[in-house]
Amino acid sequence: MGIAYDIKLCYACGICQLACSFHHTGTFWPDQSSIEVSRNPQTGAIKWHIAPSCDECPSEGEPLCVQYCVYGALKVHVTSLLKEMGESNL
Amino acid sequence: MNTAATIRGCFAGKILHVDLSNSRIWTEETDKYAMMTLGGRGINSLIMIREIPSHVKWSDPENLLCFGVGSLVGTMVPGANRVDVSSINVFDGGKGSANVGGFWGAELKYAGYDNIIIVGKSEQPVYLYINDSDVEIRDASFIWGQTVFETERILRQELHDDSIRIACVGPAGENRVRGSAIMIDSSKAAAGSGVGCVMGDKRLKAIVVRGHGKIQVAEPERFMREIAKLYQQSSCEPATEMMRRAPLNLYSDPEWQGWDTNIVVRNGQDDQWEREKRVRLMGPTTGVPSMVRGVRACFSCPAGCMPYMEIREGKYEGRTGEGFWINTIMGHACRFDISDPESVVESWLLTNELGLDGDYVAGGLSWVFELYEKGIITKKDTDNLELTWGNADALHKLIEMLAYRKGIGDLLADGMLEAAKMIGHDSEYYLIQVKGQPSIEPFRIPKGWALAVATSPVAGRHLRGSTMGSNKYGPKPRLGDFNVTDYQNQAKGVVWQGKTKELEDNLGICSYLGTWSGANCFAVGDFAELVNAGMGLDLTEEELMNQYAVTGRNLEKAFNTLHTDMSRKDDLPPKRYREEEVKSGPHKGSKIDEESYMEMLDEFYELWGWDRETGMQTKTGLESLGLKDIAQEIAKQGKLIDR
Repeated sequence: MGIAYDIKLCYACGICQLACSFHHTGTFWPDQSSIEVSRNPQTGAIKWHIAPSCDECPSEGEPLCVQYCVYGALKVHVTSLLKEMGESNL
Repeated sequence: MNTAATIRGCFAGKILHVDLSNSRIWTEETDKYAMMTLGGRGINSLIMIREIPSHVKWSDPENLLCFGVGSLVGTMVPGANRVDVSSINVFDGGKGSANVGGFWGAELKYAGYDNIIIVGKSEQPVYLYINDSDVEIRDASFIWGQTVFETERILRQELHDDSIRIACVGPAGENRVRGSAIMIDSSKAAAGSGVGCVMGDKRLKAIVVRGHGKIQVAEPERFMREIAKLYQQSSCEPATEMMRRAPLNLYSDPEWQGWDTNIVVRNGQDDQWEREKRVRLMGPTTGVPSMVRGVRACFSCPAGCMPYMEIREGKYEGRTGEGFWINTIMGHACRFDISDPESVVESWLLTNELGLDGDYVAGGLSWVFELYEKGIITKKDTDNLELTWGNADALHKLIEMLAYRKGIGDLLADGMLEAAKMIGHDSEYYLIQVKGQPSIEPFRIPKGWALAVATSPVAGRHLRGSTMGSNKYGPKPRLGDFNVTDYQNQAKGVVWQGKTKELEDNLGICSYLGTWSGANCFAVGDFAELVNAGMGLDLTEEELMNQYAVTGRNLEKAFNTLHTDMSRKDDLPPKRYREEEVKSGPHKGSKIDEESYMEMLDEFYELWGWDRETGMQTKTGLESLGLKDIAQEIAKQGKLIDR
């Protein structure tokens, strides 16, 4: 299993990062999230990265980041063990 | 109100104080203000009314510039990202307040602060650098004079950190142009009330924030259950989908109802814009939507309403920016009769880049265009600019003249009402303003909108109660059914909306997802559940609406009473809209009927618990909110209704 990220669908809202931090810490703590997402407000460029500390939320049924991504940019990727990352200048 | 209860979550815990006159920095606990207001703007208002004496003017060092992050910001609550910026209003001397989204507020809470309170004035340009507990006042000479976009770029380069969040002023704020904004993340404006003018006056160029901490909630599992429900609601609600790419989804349809009810054309000469101009501006293949390169969202927001624009051809080719907004259509297009899409996008970019309030630009400069049309001013006054309707080049030059105080821009920078007094010749009649602040708002057709804008405690802001849509469209459930063009039942809707806005601004929830827009993501019960689970309290909807929301509104009204001579006479729509009718379209013949408006106003005052005839606050009303000390201050000025 893995988590697939589609940068074309991402709005860079940071909800995935927050959900992940809640899974790990029970608080809202972006610095302790396995996901890092940022965007440059001038260029619109998004950077999204997922760290090896991601455990795919075994107790949650579906990873929280996937559950809460309302834009459909994150999906459970059944065939890949790789966790994807993305960077885009639009 | 149980002010003895202890708040156990959501707040970062500290208020950061900065005195720019003597470079002093200190903190205090948020607790002493939190239980009284629940955060955000409420804390700003409480500090302002307790600490700014009534003789202080906006440009005095004693004036405060207050940044208040909503108490739910930093969590995953949908749309919780808003920051209130409060200060003395540069237009009327009363309470000033502007509200902004983006990422800056959440970053400030992760750095450990709920509010920043700035006092004093620096002699030299400075910026404030906040990295958790490391707070420094730094020299800003290397960015002074730079545009908003350049300031953001240079600071990121200088600090070698792409994760910083920046709030700054542009040349307009530095030059103390009254209608200046504080720009956050480049493109999101805390505009209105001239908060950017105050920041520039304090010689504070920017506030740079980086935070590494966390936000805890009292009952994590219960809090997340409520959040899950809200995300489910926002996903299922068709209105949320409509709100995505908002200006494009709504205005691209030339038949959308907002074109008939909420547009003001040529500085208020009409409230109807020709269909071919709507299509030219917003047509999907060659209009504004064709310039969208992507869409972005603010922090923790499922409604993603900010198109990222790129002008792809013509003389503005290559210009880019984030967050093209509805007011740009209402303001920069219709008010000037400009339907060329590239020119309208350029007006918006220029306004952001120079750090201006878009509504001040649109409301104020369209008035100048009309003065030119009427011959009250001529080319001799405008440095040879021909300010004819539809002339976008002239508008762009005039925007620059305003920001840099060149030519007639110097006169306009000190406030349009002040300029009208200098210009004379009936010019004041044509200036559409509320309490001195130029307004782009519609008044003649949507009557609840008119009531809300005219009575807003912060001059001319529609979000303080305007009733969106009608009983067929809009938030549900809402107190007060109405038809948009009627006077009946509007006051109930406006007061209900005003109360929910108080809660939203204290909690930091965007009105687009809150109760205003019709997205129907939140009901008042959701606010109660989030507050109770997040902060460990036990408040009812009734307490939120009739104690906390009412307290917030009364704090701002009391500030106005103590600092100005505002009364019923100032809660009226602009004179033009009481005298001139809409000239065309389905609402041809509409105008404000004064008698009907006054009946709405009577009911509005009564519903807020104020004196029906004068609109002033009462002794028992303020004391029941725990504001006895403020009632006494108002009584000393002879302005308190003694019952």
